[in-house]
Amino acid sequence: MRAGRRAPGRVAVHLLLWGYAAVALLPLAVMLLNSLRPTSEIFTAPLGLPLSPTLRSYARVWTEASFSTYFLNSLIVTCGAVLLGTAVSATAAYALARYDFPGNRLLGAYLLAGLMLPIRLGLVPIFYLMDSLGLIDSLLGLTLLYAASGVPFCVFVLSAFYRSLPAELDEAARIDGAGEFRIFGQIMLPLVRPALASVMLFQFVPLWHEFLYPLVLLRSDEKFTIPRGLSQFFGEYTTDWSALFAGLVLATAPLFVLFVLATKQIIAGLTAGMSK
Amino acid sequence: MRYRRLPALAAASPETRKARRRTRWIAGAVGALALTLAACAPGGGAAGPGETADAGKVTLSLWSWRVEDVKAYEKILAAFEKSHPRIHVEFKAFQATEYNNILATGLSGADGPDVAQLRAYGGLQPLVEAGQLVPLDGKVDALSGFDPKLLEGAKGHKDGKIYGVPFAYQTLQVLYNKKLFADNGIRPPATWDEMIAAARKLKAAGITPFAVAAGPDATWTLPIVHEIFGNARYGSTKFRDAVLSGDKKFTDPGFTASIKLIKDLEPYFPKNVVAVKIPDVQALFATGKAAMYPTGSFDLAPVLQANPSLEVGAFQVPPPPGSPVSTPVTPGWADGSFGINAKSPHQAEALELVKWMATPEFGRLYATELKQLSAVPGVSPSDPLLAEMAAGYAAHGAPYMLLVDFRYGQPNGDAVFRDELQKMLAGQTDPAAVAESLQKGVEQWFKPGN
Amino acid sequence: MVQAGELSTPRRSRTPRAAHAGGRSRHAPRWRVLAVFLLPAVLLYSVFIVYPLLSAFDYSFFEWRGIRQAGFAGLDNYRDLFGVYPYDRQLWRAFAHNALFFAGTMLIQNTVGLLFALLLFRYGRGKRFLQAAFTTPYLVDPLVVGYLWSLLLNPTFGPVNALLEAVGLDSWALPWLGDTRTALPVIIVVNAWQWVGFPMLLFSAALAGIPAEYHEAARVDGASAWQAFRRVTLPLLTPAIGVVSVLTFIGNFNAFGLVYAMAGSTGSPAGSTDVLGLLFYRVAFVEGGVEAIGRSSALAVLMFVFIFGVSLLATSYFRRRERMLV
Repeated sequence: MRAGRRAPGRVAVHLLLWGYAAVALLPLAVMLLNSLRPTSEIFTAPLGLPLSPTLRSYARVWTEASFSTYFLNSLIVTCGAVLLGTAVSATAAYALARYDFPGNRLLGAYLLAGLMLPIRLGLVPIFYLMDSLGLIDSLLGLTLLYAASGVPFCVFVLSAFYRSLPAELDEAARIDGAGEFRIFGQIMLPLVRPALASVMLFQFVPLWHEFLYPLVLLRSDEKFTIPRGLSQFFGEYTTDWSALFAGLVLATAPLFVLFVLATKQIIAGLTAGMSK
Repeated sequence: MRYRRLPALAAASPETRKARRRTRWIAGAVGALALTLAACAPGGGAAGPGETADAGKVTLSLWSWRVEDVKAYEKILAAFEKSHPRIHVEFKAFQATEYNNILATGLSGADGPDVAQLRAYGGLQPLVEAGQLVPLDGKVDALSGFDPKLLEGAKGHKDGKIYGVPFAYQTLQVLYNKKLFADNGIRPPATWDEMIAAARKLKAAGITPFAVAAGPDATWTLPIVHEIFGNARYGSTKFRDAVLSGDKKFTDPGFTASIKLIKDLEPYFPKNVVAVKIPDVQALFATGKAAMYPTGSFDLAPVLQANPSLEVGAFQVPPPPGSPVSTPVTPGWADGSFGINAKSPHQAEALELVKWMATPEFGRLYATELKQLSAVPGVSPSDPLLAEMAAGYAAHGAPYMLLVDFRYGQPNGDAVFRDELQKMLAGQTDPAAVAESLQKGVEQWFKPGN
Repeated sequence: MVQAGELSTPRRSRTPRAAHAGGRSRHAPRWRVLAVFLLPAVLLYSVFIVYPLLSAFDYSFFEWRGIRQAGFAGLDNYRDLFGVYPYDRQLWRAFAHNALFFAGTMLIQNTVGLLFALLLFRYGRGKRFLQAAFTTPYLVDPLVVGYLWSLLLNPTFGPVNALLEAVGLDSWALPWLGDTRTALPVIIVVNAWQWVGFPMLLFSAALAGIPAEYHEAARVDGASAWQAFRRVTLPLLTPAIGVVSVLTFIGNFNAFGLVYAMAGSTGSPAGSTDVLGLLFYRVAFVEGGVEAIGRSSALAVLMFVFIFGVSLLATSYFRRRERMLV
C-alpha cells in the first residue's frame, strides 16, 4: 500500500492513478464534444471530433427551449429543497442526538424508515397528495417533496455528528445561562458545518437530475426544471442529440463548479473528528 | 440506485431494532394525520388553465406524446382557431416513454388536459376502465365514415364504445434505397426467392441487406419485423380469426414457420444484431450502408430528416414459400386517437375540437404537416411514397395481430414475443419454443371466443 | 457515504469524548423546545414521504382498473407476481441478477475504491485532483452515463473495440452489450466506474482515522506491507467496510437508471441484465395495463421488505464484528 520505496513500483502507481483519471474523465469529454456537433453529424457518426465546432445548439437550447428559465427554476427548486431539508433536519437531528425525552429512539427510527424505497414507487399517491393540496404545476410542491425526501439522510448523518461532540460544551453553556436555541445556533451548529456542507452537496446532485416528478407534476413551460425541459428533445422516434448534449453540458457544468468548490469541505466533513 | 439512499444504514442503528415494532403503529398514526391534513387542504377544484380572464374566450389544453411534432401541431391548430375564434388550443407534448403515467394521473387531477392524444387498443383500456374519458358515440357523426378496423383501436374493449377520433394509422413494409438497388442491378422483388437473391448480392457487395436492430432499445421492433416478413406465411387475417375463435393457437406449424423466417434471415441483418440499436440502423439506411429497412410508415419522416436527399422506395414482402396467402400483405394498425377528458370543464369546446379532428381539413393538414397516414376517410397522402403504402394497406391490409388483439391483458402478447425473438437471435431458443412461450403468455388472460 | 465516515469515526477517534460522552448528554428540555426542534422535520417527512409510501402499501392489496380502485384483492397481486407467466420467471431471474450485481460491485467497485484509497493515502502532489477526478462521474446522471458508455462500447464504431483491435486483441473486441455473457459484467463495471469515488473517499477518511502508531508498531515488528495491511489496516477498516457493504446492497437492489440506459426496459439481450428495478418499471409503467398499480405496488413492497430486512441483518452482523474487535 505504501506507494513505494522502489522506483518501478512508484511509476506503476503513478501510471495507474493518472491513467484511471483519464478513463474517469473521457466519457464526459464525449458529451462536451458532441454538444459542439450538429445532430445530423451525430446521427451518421455518433462519436467523432467536431470538425467544424458550432455553438448553435447552445444558442438553440438557450433561446428556443428557454433554458435560462429552466435553469432558474432548477436552482430555486433544488436550492430551496436542499436548504429546507437540511434546515429542518439540522434541528431535528440535534434534538434526537442531544436531548433525552420519551420516544427519542422511536422517533429516530421513524425518521429513518423511509430510506430504502425508490422514489418512483410513490408516484401515484404523491400525485394525488399534491393534487389535493393544490400543488400541481407548482414549484413549491416540488420543493417540499424534494426537501422531505432528503430528511432521512440528513437526520442520519447529522445526528451522528452531533453525538460526537463533547457533552461539556452545552453543559457549560447551560450553566452560563444560555437558552436552548442559543446553544444550538451559536455553539452546536457552527461545529457541524463541515457535515452540513457534505450533506447538502449529496442531496443536491440527485435532485438536480431528477426528472420523473417534474414530468408528472409540472404543467407550464415557465415552471419547468432543467431535466423536464430537456425531455422535450426526446421524441418518439427521433432525438435531437446535439441540443440534448448541449443541454446536458449546461446542466452539469454548475455541478462541477459546485463540486470543485466544495471538495475541500467534503473532505473536511469526512475526516472531521478523525484526525484531531 | 442512488447513494442518496445510503442512509438505509438507518436501519443500522442498534436502537432502531428494538423500536421497530412500535414504529409501525406510530407510522400508521402519523400517516393518518397526514391523510387528514391532505383531506382538509384546499385544492381539488383549482382553476384549470382553461379559465382565462378573457371574456368568453376558452383555452383548451391538448396533450400529446409527440414531442417532435410541436411546431406542426401549432400550425394545424391555427387553422382550427381561425374557424373557431372563441377557442384557443394549447398543445403540450410529453416524453413518449412516460406519457401513459402522466396522462393517467393528469386526467384525474387539477390542470389536466381537456383533449388528449390516446394510445390505441390495449393501451387505451386503463383510461376507459377508470372512467376518465367521454364516450363519443352519437356525438361525433363523422366517425361513422371511418374505417371500422381503425375505430377498433379507439374502443373500450368491454363496453365497445368509441372514446377517441383516430388520427393516424401505420403500415408495415420494407423501405429500400433506390440508388443502391439501381447500382446493384436489383429491382423490388416479386417473389421471396428474388428477395433472398437480392439480399445475397448486396451482402457480397459489402452492403447490409436489411437494417434490422435487436438491441436494448429495439426489442419492440422485432415483432414488427416478424409481421413484415411472416404475416403471409402464418396466414394473415385468416389465422388471426382462427386464433381469436380458438380454432388455432400460436403453436400452429404455420406460425412457427413464420418465426423461423426471422432466424433464416439473420445472416442478412447487421452483424451482432442483438447489440444494434435503432439509431444505428436508421443511420445505416440513411447513409446508404444498408439497402433495405423493414419498418413502419412512422420511420419515413426520421429517415428523410436525417438525409433529405435519400431516394426511398417501398415494397411489400412477397409471400414466402409455403404461405397460405398468395398476395403480399401490408400489416397495419391504428396509431391512436384524440379523446375528451371526462373531467374537463369545457366539454362543449372540447367536443368542437374533437369533431374538427374528424374532418378532412384536419386530415389533410395532418398528412401534409406530419408526413403520416391520416385516419380521416378520403384523405390521401400528398407524399407519393406514403400514398403507395396507403394503397397497399387498402388493397391487402391485415391487422398487426399481437398489437391489435393481444394487448388487452398482461402479459401483452407482443411483449412476450419481443423478448423471445431477441432470445432466438441471441441463440438461446428456437422458433418452436418461441411460439410455445407466446402461447403460454397470452393464455394467462386470453379466452378465445369473446 | 458521508456518514459512513462518521459512523466509523467515533470508535477509532483518539478523542474519548465521542459517541459515549457526547450523544448522551441527556438533557431533558421542555416539550415546547422539543416541538420547535422536531416538528418541522416530522411534519414535512410524514406528509410527503410516509403518507405516500403507506398509500402504496395499501394499493398493493386492491384490484385496480387503471387509476380506479375496484375492490379489495387480498394477496392476489402478490400471487400474480409469483404465479403468472412470465412474471414468475422474470421475478427470480431479476432477483438473481441483482444478487450478481451486488456481488460484482462488492468485488470490483469496493476493492478498487479501497486500492485507490490506499495508493492515495500518502500520495503527494495531485492527490486532490485525482480524488476529484475519480469522483466526477457521480455528477453526471446515471441515464447519461449509461448512454455515453453504450456509445463507447458500440461494436461498430465504438473506440473501446477499436482500441482493442489496435493493440492486437481482436478476439477481445466483443459486442459487449449484445452478448448475454458479457452484458451484465459490463454494466457492473460501468456502475463501478460511476461510483468508485465514494468507497474511495470513505476508505480514505477511515484510513486517516487510524492512528499512525499502529503502522509504526507493525513495522517495528518486521511485518511486510501486506502483513501490516492484512493484520492492522483491514481489521480497523471493518466499520467502513460494513457501511460500504450495506450501502452497496441498497444501491444495487434499487438499481434502475444505468441499467435502463444500457439494456433498455427489457434487460437486453435476452433478459440477461434484467433487474428488479426494470421489472418494476415494466409492470408499473410500460406494459402493466389496467392492473399496473396493484401489481407494481406489490412488487415494490416485496423489494422494500427484502432490502430492509437484509440491511438490518447485515448491519447487526457488522456491529457484532466491530464489537469483537474492540
